[in-house]
Formats: sequence, C-alpha cells, structure tokens
Amino acid sequence: MWRLTLRTTLARRARLALTLLAVVLGVTFATGSLILTDTSGRLLDDQFRTATAGVDLTVRDAVAFDSAMGVEVTRDPLPANLPERIAAVPGVAAVRPQVRGQGLLEVDGTAVVPSGPSVLASWVPPPLGAFTVRSGRPPAADDEVVIDEDTARAHRIGLGDTVTVRATDTGRLRVVGLAGFGARGGLPNSTIALVTLPSAQRLLRLGSTVSEVAVVAAPGVAPDELRDRISVALGAGYEVTPSRDIAAAGAAAARDQLSWLQLVLLALAAAALLVGAFLIANTFSIVITQRTRELALLRAAGATGGQVLRSVLGEALLVGLAASTVGLGLGVAAATGIRNLAGAFGVPLPEGGLVLTARTVLVAFAVGVVVTVGSAVGPARRAVAVAPVAALRDAAAARTGRLRVIAGALAAAAGLAATTAVLAAGAPVPLLGVAALGAVGGLALLGPAITPILVRLVGRPLAAAGVTGRLANESAARTPRRTAATALALALGLALISFMAVLGTSVKSSVRQSYAEVITADHVVESARNEMLGGLSPMVYDRVSRLPEVAVASRLRYGHWRDGEATQALTAVDPATLPRVASLHFTAGNLAALDGGGIVLAEHVARDRGLAVGDELPMTFSRAGTRSLPVVGLLRDGDARALSTDYLISLDTFARLYSEEMDASVLIRTAEGTGRAAAERAIKAALAETPTAQLRDQAAAVAGRTQMIDQVLGLVTVLLMLAVLIALLGITNTLALSITERTAEIGLLRAVGMTRRQLRWMIRGEAVLVAALASVLGILLGVGFAAATVRALGRDAPTVLAVPAGRLLLVLAVALAAGLLAGLLPARRAARLDVLAAIGTP
Amino acid sequence: MTMSTAPAPATTVAVQARDVVRTYGRGDAAVRALDGVTVSVPAGRFTAIMGPSGSGKSTLMHALAGLDTVDAGQILLGGTDLGRLTERQRTLLRRDRIGFVFQAFNLVPTLTARENIVLPLTLAGRRPDAEHLAHLLATLGLTDRSRHRPGELSGGQQQRVAVARALVTRPEIVFADEPTGNLDSQAAETLLGFLRQAVDELGQTIVMVTHDPHAAAYADRVVFLADGRIDGELDAPTVPAILSHMARLTAPAATGGN
Ligand SMILES: Nc1ncnc2c1ncn2[C@@H]1O[C@H](COP(=O)(O)OP(=O)(O)O)[C@@H](O)[C@H]1O
Ligand SMILES: [Mg+2]
Repeated sequence: MWRLTLRTTLARRARLALTLLAVVLGVTFATGSLILTDTSGRLLDDQFRTATAGVDLTVRDAVAFDSAMGVEVTRDPLPANLPERIAAVPGVAAVRPQVRGQGLLEVDGTAVVPSGPSVLASWVPPPLGAFTVRSGRPPAADDEVVIDEDTARAHRIGLGDTVTVRATDTGRLRVVGLAGFGARGGLPNSTIALVTLPSAQRLLRLGSTVSEVAVVAAPGVAPDELRDRISVALGAGYEVTPSRDIAAAGAAAARDQLSWLQLVLLALAAAALLVGAFLIANTFSIVITQRTRELALLRAAGATGGQVLRSVLGEALLVGLAASTVGLGLGVAAATGIRNLAGAFGVPLPEGGLVLTARTVLVAFAVGVVVTVGSAVGPARRAVAVAPVAALRDAAAARTGRLRVIAGALAAAAGLAATTAVLAAGAPVPLLGVAALGAVGGLALLGPAITPILVRLVGRPLAAAGVTGRLANESAARTPRRTAATALALALGLALISFMAVLGTSVKSSVRQSYAEVITADHVVESARNEMLGGLSPMVYDRVSRLPEVAVASRLRYGHWRDGEATQALTAVDPATLPRVASLHFTAGNLAALDGGGIVLAEHVARDRGLAVGDELPMTFSRAGTRSLPVVGLLRDGDARALSTDYLISLDTFARLYSEEMDASVLIRTAEGTGRAAAERAIKAALAETPTAQLRDQAAAVAGRTQMIDQVLGLVTVLLMLAVLIALLGITNTLALSITERTAEIGLLRAVGMTRRQLRWMIRGEAVLVAALASVLGILLGVGFAAATVRALGRDAPTVLAVPAGRLLLVLAVALAAGLLAGLLPARRAARLDVLAAIGTP
Repeated sequence: MTMSTAPAPATTVAVQARDVVRTYGRGDAAVRALDGVTVSVPAGRFTAIMGPSGSGKSTLMHALAGLDTVDAGQILLGGTDLGRLTERQRTLLRRDRIGFVFQAFNLVPTLTARENIVLPLTLAGRRPDAEHLAHLLATLGLTDRSRHRPGELSGGQQQRVAVARALVTRPEIVFADEPTGNLDSQAAETLLGFLRQAVDELGQTIVMVTHDPHAAAYADRVVFLADGRIDGELDAPTVPAILSHMARLTAPAATGGN
C-alpha cells in the first residue's frame, strides 16, 4: 500500500504542486517569524551581555522596578564618595565609577538623529568597559571624544574632526578615537559618544555624582557573596546587581518592545496556515472525488477501509513533509525579508546572523505535517466511505449534511451571541475574538449550503453579461463545497485586512477628533523621534516660554507606574497654564485641585475601579515606591485621551515621584497680536539648539500619536497579502481541477461554437466570481467586527467608526483583479484543450 | 413513420471531401485513420456513414464538421474550404452553420433543456426565433420539459434536446455521431424518426455516423467506410441490403448490438 501511495502522490505531482505551495508559504511564514524573533532575541542578549562582560557587580540607585514598557527608568545619581566606600569592602578588586546619559551628536552643524538612543557615556577602559578603541586612542583630555565606528563611517567623521555633543550642556569636542562594541562597530540604531568622566559629568550637569559603579571581585571571591557584603556596607537605597542580571533585564526590556511584533507575526502565520488548510482540504477532496472509481476498484479488489484511509493520509504526510522542508528553507530567506520590511515601515530590528533553533525546525515540521494531514482527514474519511459499487456508477453530487448545517448555524449563532454580549451587555472585549472564531467556523460549515444562493446573488452582473457568465455562475454554484472553501480562504485574508483598515482608521480619526476638540494651543513642540516618554529636552520649554511672542507655554510629561503586575502611564501637567491651551471637561472635581498632590482620573478608569473623588489610588513608582494618591477629579474620557493617558498629576507631584527630566509636549498659545508666521519663526529660532525638537501643527501632532498605528497597519497589510496570495493559489488550483472534471463539457461547448475567447472569459469569470464572493464575505466580516470592536472600545474613550471607503474599494479592486489573474492560467489551459480529445472524455 | 421514399434528386452538394488523409501518431505507430477519402454529401438528404469499429467514421465526420483538420486533401462545406480557415473561423462556422448530435454528453448539465437548445444562438449573441423554437419543442415532444435540467431527463429526451439544439440555428448541415448508441431500441426509433422528419419536412441535410444497420436504414443513402477508405455506397438502403454489403467488406464486420 505504501508503494502505491508514493506512486499516486508522484503521479499527481502537478496537481499537488499548488497544494504544496500553500503549505510551503504557510510554513515559510511561521518559520520566518520564529527565526526573526529568535535572532532579534539572541542579538539583544549578546549586546547586553557584551555591555557587562568584564564586570561582576554593578551598584546603582535602588528602584522599585527597572524598566516599564521597554523603557529603562532613570535612576538618581550616586554620591561622589560611593566608589571609595565600595572599594573599601574586602574582596573588591576594582571599582570604576561611570556616567551615562543622552548626548546628541552634531556634525558640521547638522544633528545626527538615530532612531534609537544618542548615548553619551564616560570612557571606561576594557575589560570593565564594553567599548574598545579600534583606531586612535581613548579620550584623555576633557575636550576629547571617541565616537563609534558605525556613526563615524555613516557621517564621515574622522580622527581630529570636531563634533558638538548636546546634552544638558553643550560641548565642542575633538574626535581622538573610534570605538567598536564587541565584534560590531557600534550599537544598532544608536550613536555613541565616549568622553572622560569629568567631561561627562559636566555635559550632563551631574556635578561630582556618577550614574553607576562597576565592581570587579578579587580572585577567589564569589560575586554573590561580595554582593551581600557590599549591600550591607552601603545600606538600603543602593542596589547591587550581578552583571548577568542586568544584561538579562536589559535584553528583556528591549525584547519587550518587540513582543508585539512577534505576536503579530505569529498571528499572521496562523492566518496563513488556516487559509492554507482550507486549500489543502479542498484539493484532497477534489482529488478523492476524481479518484472515486480508482478507490472503489481498490475496495472491490479487497483493500480495507483502513488501507484506503492510510493511503490518503500517507499522501498528505508526504506532501506535508516535503512542504515543511521547503518551507523551512524559505523561512530563512523570509526572516531577512520580514526584517527589511519591518525596517521599511519604521520598526528597526537588530541586524545580524540568523538563528535557527531546533524548536523552529520542530515547529516547521509539526505545523506543516499537522496542518496537511489534519486537513486531509475529512476527505480521507469520505474516501473510505466510497462503496465498491461506486466504480460502476457515476458519483452523485454530495449534499450538505444536516448535521453540518446545524453545527454551522450553532457556531454562527454563538458568534452573534458573543458579539451581542460585548456590545449590549458590556462583556470583555476579547470575547469578540471568540465571536470572530464562531463566525468563521459557522461560515466554513454553512458555506456549502449558502454558496449557491450567494453565488447567484453576487454573480448577477456576470450572468447579465451573457451565457459565458451564466455558465461561470452555474459552475461555481454546482460545487458549493469547493467554491465555499476556496472563497472562504480568500475571505479570511480580506477580512483581516479590512478589519485592520477600519479599526486603524477609526482609532486614528477618533484620536484626531479628541485632540482637535481638546487641545486649543496654537502650536505644539514635540520630539521628532516620538520617544515613549516624549524625549524633549527641558531646555525647549525654558527657551520657548521666555519668548515675547508666546503668551502661554504649558508642558506635559509622561511617566510610567506599576499597578500590580500591569504597567501604566500617566501625564503630568501644569494646572495653572494647561486650561489656557486645552479645553478640559471635568465631571467631578477640577484641575486646580491637582496642586495638592492628587490625581485626576479618566471617567472610565474611575468607573472600572469603583473610585470617586476623595478615594485613594495606590500606585508604585520606580523611584518613590508605592504611594496612595487622592483622587481629586474625574475627566471626560476623550479629554484624557487627548492628553495621552488616563491619569493626570501635576508637574510638582511628578518632580517628587520621578527623576526623569524629559518633556513630552510643549503647548503654546501665542501672544495677542502676534502673527502665526512670526510666532513660528520665533519658536523655530528658539529650537535651534535642540535639533530633535519639532514645531508641529495639529495634524503633525496627531500623526506623531498615531504613527504606531500606521506602522502596524502597513506592515500587517503587506504581510496579510501573503495570506491573500495563498488564497489566490487556491482559486487557481480549484479551477484547474474543476476544468479537468469538466473536460467533456468544455469539449461540447467548443464543438457547438464557443470560441476560445469566450471559453477563457468563462473560466476567468468563475475566478473573478469566487474572488467577488470572497471580497463580499471578507469585507463584510472585517468591517462588521471592526464596527463591533470600535463600539466596544468606545466604552473606554469615545471612538467613532470611520470606514475608509477608498481603502476598502482598493481591497475589493485588488481582490477582483487578483482573481482575474488567478484565473488566467486555468483559462489558458481550458482554451488549449483539444476539442476532439475533450469530446472523447465522457 | 415514413421509411424511405426517394425525394427530388439531389442537385447541390452540402459538403464534400477530396482525397482526405488524416494520420494519427508518427513513425511506426502512425495510423492512417483516413486514407484518401473522397465523398460528397448531397444537400437536403439523410446520409449515413457506416463501417466497422475503427474504420474512421468519427474521424471523417470530425473532418467534415470542421472539428478537426486534415493532413492532406480538401474539405469543402458549401463553398468554404475548411483547410483555409483559422481555428476561430472554424469555431464560428460550427456555431452558425453546423449542428451536432453526439453519442453521449451532449448537454451542459447546469443549463436547462431550453438553454441547452438555444446555446449556439446565445453564444453568437442572437435571440432565438420564438416560433421556430416552439415548433421544435413541440415536434420533439419537449414542450413541457424545457425547464428541466439534463439530469432530470431520460436518455432519449436528452438526445432529443440535442437534436433540437442541432436544428435551432437552421444549420446547413447536421452531423450526428452514433446518436442512438446509448439508447434502447424504442428511444432509438423515436429519435431516428425525428431526424428523418427533419429531412423530409424541413429539407435538412443530415450526416449520421453509425454502425447499426437498423439506424442506417433510416437514411437516403449509406456510405461505407473500411480501413479509412470509402468502400461503396448504397442508395435507398434497407437492412438486408446493408447487412449483405457489410458482409462483403474486407474488415471483420461489427454489427450493432440493437
Ligand atoms: N486521437 C487519436 N489518436 C490516435 N489514434 C486515433 C485517434 N482517434 C482515432 N484514432 C485511430 O484512428 C482510427 C479510426 O478511428 P475512428 O475514426 O474513431 O473510428 P470509428 O469512429 O470508425 O470507430 C482507429 O484506428 C483509431 O484507433
Ligand atoms: Mg466512432
């Protein structure tokens, strides 16, 4: 039986090639995603391990948590005498104070703005320091600097050149050396400026304090033991951490920032595989229908049902194994492709050698084989049901089982119920995911039953176009199971694309609307880099607020805090000036009350937490630990969103709780009688010293807030096109097989006078029809669930449904055009059929 | 049912083959399915092509009908030399000037009987002549079957639908390849009666390929084929005459099972 399986599989290789391709693409995507995330993780690990390689322990100011949302918290500096106190602890071999901060590089008057950090640090010679001088020498004098090689090469900085470093203070420094980091020429997406310790302290205005102290244990002293000794010697308030923990924590924080990408990629791989599964099931059931006679003969000749089942599943296993192997190979290429794609959409990933783990290989084969064999189970069971007498009569068209219809109706009803529960009864939003699964499952089960009706409905224009169109319709309606599966595969991809488009557009337009309603400032200054915490130097506010053209300048700061396990963000505002640049609506309490050290909550937060004015909210801060802040006001949800978070405190309170010195936005009201252009000119002039600060109008400010949505939307849409591509292969595949089945009919049509052109249009018409069916289902499903999600989101902040009609029409047009494309090959094949041979094929 | 009365002598030729050669395969495996066939089919008459299985009947019919090209010789349909036509021109010629009835799989399963009948007209973008169509349906006893799909019709009814389709364009010539091959004798008689009637009443030219002497006896004239060559003709054939001619043929005779 195995030999037979192998032979039939090979004999049908052309037929199975497309199926194979579908699995290959799915596996490629899955392994590509895994390889990419493994690689990014490994590169980040390496980077952080290199950074602390020569150090055993690091002493820093103690904090409650060291990073939030992938951003390391700022710690208070350490007193100047601390290194001496550490050095005095027995077992310490070496101590090295270190200063680290942000310092923007400027070359020939142009700022070098990397997408990552602009590092300014004191030079620490190896092995304690992670950087090594590759050419020139380390900084010795206070006006000397060492730049990383990558930056030097990219911006043509040579030894002896002078660069400007803008930190809290600005310095002009001479480049005396170029540094590398481990085996690399620098840190990814960053610039590095290494200066002497006093110079770093001066530029960062740290006085004689330092950021951290690196400690090397004496030979024979266990780092863990030394750690305890130092902790005891320094007392509370300082944190002594083994270097490998710091490396792990740093890498984890950096990986945290990429975790959404991994999630998105794996979700898309799942979608691609789901689409592929439909396609595989389809192909196998067609192949089995066509092999009915052969299978019946086998049965008549004495093959048991089990043998037939194993034969079909064996075929699936072979296809699965072959596809997994190819998919794994292509996955390596895909990883690089996705990395470049992500980079193109503004999501830089670390570059470096790809990591192929055993897990990835295992997943590739498991996924490929399980999906293929799993999809073939249904068709295989139908093959077993073939009666030996079927060899002698024509196979009757299978009718949709009643059980299937009932199951489908139940699934669809469950989906509807879950949606209603979320919308009407306020059930949690993730229930919508369950609803979507129910809807898709229901459609998959009901597909064969409803397809003929849908085909005739969607195919109206086609039918009106003439008999070829009618024939195309009928052909699609005749094999509802096949048409449904083919269309549904495409519909899934299109549904996801439409869902993302509608949701993204709705959230964007809602953010825009809130912002426009609430922020009344004439101008906004924000960092061009859209850093998580704003990243605007306080200097900007100082300069701008002093301008005679500016009547009011009010700044916003963001901070992270811990709420149990969850990380939250808050906005710090100036209660005195904010009302003049923003129109806020309080439902309880008021803004001025913030001065007492309290907190204002967005309405929905108060509702969810059951808090009212006068209650207290416990919050954990990195520097200040856990505090309970009195609730002094409740703000409308939309207004809170315009200020970016659901929690407001005053800048004074912020200064007591945080050591971060970064502004997020400076909102500006121009002085009475100052023209817009004049004000802009004055503000721009004031920003000359801070190149990353950007004067924005409302549109640009909104764009800065929604940039992430655009990135994700763009990346996901491009990647989803892969799922759509797989689905299109499905159309080609199904049509090619259906043509084989309809050879006699095609021969007849040609004999009685259907021209080749008419025949080609008939086949293409069928392809477009399936695409149209998929588009209608997919777009309706996508828009429907987006609408439900928007409604559900509206509970937390007013979100209005915005349907990007142009974009959806584009999706429709692309799908139809692609359908046409998918039909080209089968149409050509059909037109090439020899009329006589076709007539002779009953 | 009118059997055979000799109508007015045929004056025009509907289709003719001149020294037609058609070879399948190459080299040693080559089969000369038609080996220099010259034959004329008179217009307005019912011609049967007979011969043992494998003698080239279908090949000849396909060549005459423009379904296939020939390797040598000439096919003239009316005044048209089929050899000079492009594939598309031959398709349009089949659509507009020729009717077909095949042995099996004559109908598109997804179309109703009526839609199948008017298919060549629809393909040409023409509207059927309602009166003509009604007359055809009535004559063939299909009036109350016109909305049925092929699957809902008996074998005999299906073949009658095929005949109606062949006649609906008022073609110059109708080709039928073993039209009764899959029918029981009752249904076969009915169908042959209709073909005969179309010749007698409408002056339709019909060429029918068969290996059944009973079927051939409905024709005005029988052309015998053996080993790809014309091997005699018989006017006003009767079953005994046909059988005796067949017995004389060199190839081993294969008589119809009916
Ligand atoms: N497509 C083909 N390829 C090869 N040989 C063929 C083909 N069609 C017919 N033949 C051969 O040509 C000869 C005549 O066939 P055909 O015209 O079908 O005979 P008939 O219809 O009289 O039974 C036979 O020997 C047959 O095997
Ligand atoms: Mg034949």
